[in-house]
Amino acid sequence: MAAVIEVEHLTKQYGPKTAVDDVSFVVRPGSVTGFLGPNGAGKSTTMRMIMGLDRPTAGRATVNGQPYRTFRDPLRQVGALLEAKAVHQGRSAYNHLLALAATHGIPKSRVHEVIDMTGLESVAKKRVGGFSLGMGQRLGIAAALLGDPKTLILDEPVNGLDPDGVLWVRQLARRMAADGRTVFLSSHLMSEMAQTADRVVVLGRGKVLADAPIQEFVAGGAANGGGSRVVVRTPAPDQLFQAIGPNASITPREDGTFLVVGPDAVTVGNIAAQVGVPLHELTPVGASLEEAYMALTRDDVEYRSEGTR
Amino acid sequence: MTATTMPDSVRLGFGRLLRSEWIKLRSIRSTWWCYAILVAVTVGLATLLGSAVGVPGPDDPTDALYGGFVSINTASVSLTALVVGVLGVLIITGEYGTGQVRSTFTADPRRTGVILAKATVLAVTTFVVSIVSTWIGVLLSAALQSAKGADIVIGDPSVFLPILGSSVYVTLLALLAYGIGLLLRSSAGGIAVTVGILLVLPIVLSGIGNIMAQQWVLDIAKFLPDSAGGQLYSYSYTGVQQDGVVLNGWGGFAVLAAEVMAVGALALTVARRRDV
Repeated sequence: MAAVIEVEHLTKQYGPKTAVDDVSFVVRPGSVTGFLGPNGAGKSTTMRMIMGLDRPTAGRATVNGQPYRTFRDPLRQVGALLEAKAVHQGRSAYNHLLALAATHGIPKSRVHEVIDMTGLESVAKKRVGGFSLGMGQRLGIAAALLGDPKTLILDEPVNGLDPDGVLWVRQLARRMAADGRTVFLSSHLMSEMAQTADRVVVLGRGKVLADAPIQEFVAGGAANGGGSRVVVRTPAPDQLFQAIGPNASITPREDGTFLVVGPDAVTVGNIAAQVGVPLHELTPVGASLEEAYMALTRDDVEYRSEGTR
Repeated sequence: MTATTMPDSVRLGFGRLLRSEWIKLRSIRSTWWCYAILVAVTVGLATLLGSAVGVPGPDDPTDALYGGFVSINTASVSLTALVVGVLGVLIITGEYGTGQVRSTFTADPRRTGVILAKATVLAVTTFVVSIVSTWIGVLLSAALQSAKGADIVIGDPSVFLPILGSSVYVTLLALLAYGIGLLLRSSAGGIAVTVGILLVLPIVLSGIGNIMAQQWVLDIAKFLPDSAGGQLYSYSYTGVQQDGVVLNGWGGFAVLAAEVMAVGALALTVARRRDV
């Protein structure tokens, strides 16, 4: 059975509040799918329902073709990091992993392997209570990798990691996907996703706002945000911008270049040629995923802190 | 990346869950503390009483001698029951309190197997620790009493059974506390309820029953875990009359076991369905 995650009309209500609202999507093998959304959008709840930890109010979720609860070798099927430190504080990392491995008869050599892979050798025998958030994340990822699973589900895996750790998670996700596995990871940080995911599912207030390949998503966001973006360097800016006209928004940048939003690079180049203005630089810049995301979720942020931007 | 190839035999199994829960039990400090206290109190009290308590004269009935010896070796039970009660609660509420339960239920998403495996490991470990420490106490106290001229036949069922029963009792109480902990999920709540059932409820019921002079209230009190289970480790004196309902050792065992099963079944049903 292909390693896919299928979510169909999944709904979760807590009393009058609907945390996840009729959510449907498919996560396919061989690529990294990002699960984006502001905090409180319902990402973690959706992941917990996929893992059989929370019961859906309606709808269903299957992994590799069947509900997670029905597997006789669940750790072989899915490895999940659902939150940092889902571990008894008084137990050592090694014993935690050993106990998890024992449930499936996973060899002890594999426990040592995931400890090596996640860089926990020096702290493996220490009690988890003293772990930093970053070490807790590494332990959670080690646990997820124990069964060498077909599908990997990671909830905010880079939280609390240092830049090395972030890079490592990114490479791990890419490598697992290249292996043909299904990789599904959530984040509220767009910049992180832009570098890791092939596809994104965006959640806002419990609803799917977008489900698309990442380039498409970014392009759509650019359209929302008002057009192409081009960086221009020229010795005669006034002449050029007058020729471009009022439809472009032009912002001077610190390095002496200008950011032109509106016409694309071809248009700007043609206009410059027509009016005889030399161009020292003409660089199209992709709209950032961050901007696309902000445009999409602007109205769906549940807890917005005032004055942060 | 993957050096270890997973054998096809990698899957869940009850024996494997038992092994996993055994690793979990022994890798937590509170386990060692609770069992160390259990051993110290059991052996210590039996030795202390064995040397302090006098021996009845040769003309006194055997009941006085045997009953006294059983008391020497079961005096610690009301205390050790509390200790295993706390352990039984903590072993499961510690999982809910720390988030460990999500790892546990991810490994066994049907939950029943792991919940029963944990109960089994708790019961077997508690029974073994209790029986070993109890019989160390028995041997020591028997030696001390013999030195005073007492002639105790440990193999006599009237002596042997209640002393064995004390280990059965603490094991059942550990399981009762485990069920309560599984139901309530909170360490503080679970310990409070367990201690309440063991210590507070009997006092309240007997107080009310005596003040109101209502035998039925006192009869209800006899079915509390503490009182019904108490029959398991009580020496049966001949010719003692009691009012109202009378439970013997087996009756007390049946009542307590039924209570453990009822609480456990309820807790299991709830825990299987609950979001974690």
